[in-house]
Amino acid sequence: MSTRDDGPTGTRLVVGVDIGNSTTEACLAEVGPDGSVSYLGTDLTRTTGVKGTPANTAGALTAIRGALARGGRGADRVATVLLNEATPVISGLAMETITETIITESTMIGHNPTTPGGEGLGVGTTVSIAGLGTAEPGQPVVCVVPPGWDFDDAAAAINTAVAGGAEVVAAILAGDDAVLVTNRLTRPVPVVDEVAAVEKVPLGMLAAVEVAPPGRTIRTLSNSYGLATVFELDPAQTRQVSPVARALTGNRSAVVVRTPSGDVTDRRIPVGELVLRGAGKTLRVDVDAGAEAIMEAVARAQPLDDAHGEPGTHVGGMLAQVRDTMADVMDTPGQPAVPVSEIAIRDVLAVDTFVPAEVRGGLAGEVALENAVALAAMVRTSRSRMQLVADLVSEGLGAAAVIGGVEGEMAVNGALTTPGVDRPVAVLDLGGGSTDAALLTREGECTAVHVAGAGELVTKLIDSELALGDREVAEGVKRFPLAKVESFFHVRHEDGTVQFFDQPLPPHVYARVVVLSPEGPAPVPTRHGLDHVRRLRREAKRRVFVVNALRALRQVAPGGNIRALEFVVLLGGSALDFEIPDMIADALAPYGIVCGTGNVLGTEGPRNAVASGLVRAYAAEPVRSGPAAPVR
Amino acid sequence: MSGTGERPAVLVYRHPGAPAAVVREVCAGVEEEGVPAEVVDAPDGLTATGLAHAAAQASRLEVGIGVDAAGATAVHHGKLPLDHPPATLGADAPAPDRRRIGRTGARVVKNLPLG
Repeated sequence: MSTRDDGPTGTRLVVGVDIGNSTTEACLAEVGPDGSVSYLGTDLTRTTGVKGTPANTAGALTAIRGALARGGRGADRVATVLLNEATPVISGLAMETITETIITESTMIGHNPTTPGGEGLGVGTTVSIAGLGTAEPGQPVVCVVPPGWDFDDAAAAINTAVAGGAEVVAAILAGDDAVLVTNRLTRPVPVVDEVAAVEKVPLGMLAAVEVAPPGRTIRTLSNSYGLATVFELDPAQTRQVSPVARALTGNRSAVVVRTPSGDVTDRRIPVGELVLRGAGKTLRVDVDAGAEAIMEAVARAQPLDDAHGEPGTHVGGMLAQVRDTMADVMDTPGQPAVPVSEIAIRDVLAVDTFVPAEVRGGLAGEVALENAVALAAMVRTSRSRMQLVADLVSEGLGAAAVIGGVEGEMAVNGALTTPGVDRPVAVLDLGGGSTDAALLTREGECTAVHVAGAGELVTKLIDSELALGDREVAEGVKRFPLAKVESFFHVRHEDGTVQFFDQPLPPHVYARVVVLSPEGPAPVPTRHGLDHVRRLRREAKRRVFVVNALRALRQVAPGGNIRALEFVVLLGGSALDFEIPDMIADALAPYGIVCGTGNVLGTEGPRNAVASGLVRAYAAEPVRSGPAAPVR
Repeated sequence: MSGTGERPAVLVYRHPGAPAAVVREVCAGVEEEGVPAEVVDAPDGLTATGLAHAAAQASRLEVGIGVDAAGATAVHHGKLPLDHPPATLGADAPAPDRRRIGRTGARVVKNLPLG
């Protein structure tokens, strides 16, 4: 071996390197001949390429050089680089709506224009404003105003018709001028505006227009029996319109036009069955039974060998998509393609969610909240090429590089450097793709599990439930607390505290719900209030991280009993989140165990556990002899 | 300019030569939002932003709109520095945008998002 294997005093300079899904961390230390460790520096950088592939080398070298710079050591003095055996786990996500509201004929306008006019309920026959002159006196009519009508002209036309005996009971406008028209009517009526597809409102049909007073929501058209009363429906017809009532609930204004063939169908798309194979049995569960039923089946099939979706159904498509993505990720140039059949899904997390979807056939961009199921699936692969990465790192640095240990065990090892922690200790690594748990017993035995679903699923839930359509914004909502901009000079944080600014806040954030990112307040494009967004954010985190924390801990705990654990240390990027650690600690409180965010080496927080764990493992049992060889 | 600011309203300061159609659209925008507006003939010599700022100072709702001779418009808030108007619009803007200037002024009063 080379002369720098042993320093003048017999100490050896080692670097532990943890290549994770999103970050690569390094820990530099001197290990004495007696196994004593003195830590010199750490570093953190973005992982280059997909974890477990040769592309990781660049990031690993950056982190190593960073740690060396902080520790004030040269690369030529490094004895050994210790890499983690990356857990060959990749996770994928899919989401599918399981309900869909379709209006087969134009029957309903249910939206919340910011400023409807008048108030009350008007029921009459739809008549175009141009045809108001011919309306029969005494017959109630609903006036339909196409785009291009000025508010003064529209109001004058209605007033003239009313003076001539017409009974105008309500109006539907294309433009945004309901208040302007109402203010100019001699006899005010409820007016709904901003109906983009007003030309699709059928004329000569019975229609009901309802506008609630400010601060209220409609009462009649959102009630099935209200609709039955207005349109004189029989019980069979009432059953047919009940989805209309449901779709209109919570609106300040609405229009329902009764067309003879019109109906709204609330159709459930066949979602299909999830087939779970594991623990010597095969379980089938209907995905539209919801997340709870699916997770119960998953728990009974532990440990899961594979999961399949019924071909030709949504769930079949979802899992096929996950498998295809995985195969792509694992493919590397110059190597035979990974056969999709070789990819086994080893865990599934199902989450009930909802997706705001535009109602098909709606006239004003109505949105219905459709039920959906999100699935996170985790795949274990047989291919990890960490050894290749080690060889490349060795070449790049000019020092030996070996695989120093398995991720889960190393994480526990590093977690033990957190002040106040002792065996038996369990770690929860809250990552981006998967939530990992590992337990180190008092006797030194280590078990590790990986469950599907973590930070990325939370982002996806926030993105779809708020209909943001922007992953970056959703990520911001997940990572930063919310605030409401209350004036040009102050914001109120979600906990109620107020913060003032010297410079006026930009107009585009005025009165908005914002996330307080380090770059300043960024608006959340939603009409929902702060409380709603906050509740939704916390619910998304709970449904993923709290559910997974309990699931993963049950799998490593002796006899599946969480009470048997003593110390739980939270690690990983999501352990830095401003509320996830508290939520998990709250959920674990009833079990009487100590739970908190790790503080690796007493300085690193929940970071660097695996990298320092590698150094500790090496110090305990150094790989001193022979060529660089993996520990196992 | 006597009598202005008596009643809580968004004040619209119009230059003597301001086009009537512009003032009408701006006022319609404020009215549609349910906020009172009051038109005041302002002295010559100010830009739309300057007029808006002066109007905002006089308004009991602290919001003003200025319309200059060419038909350019601006919204201002009484507590903002002169050079930070929340919104401005050129003289050649289409009618819906002018309506939106009124709407923006009203929404500053109502503490609702301006967009």
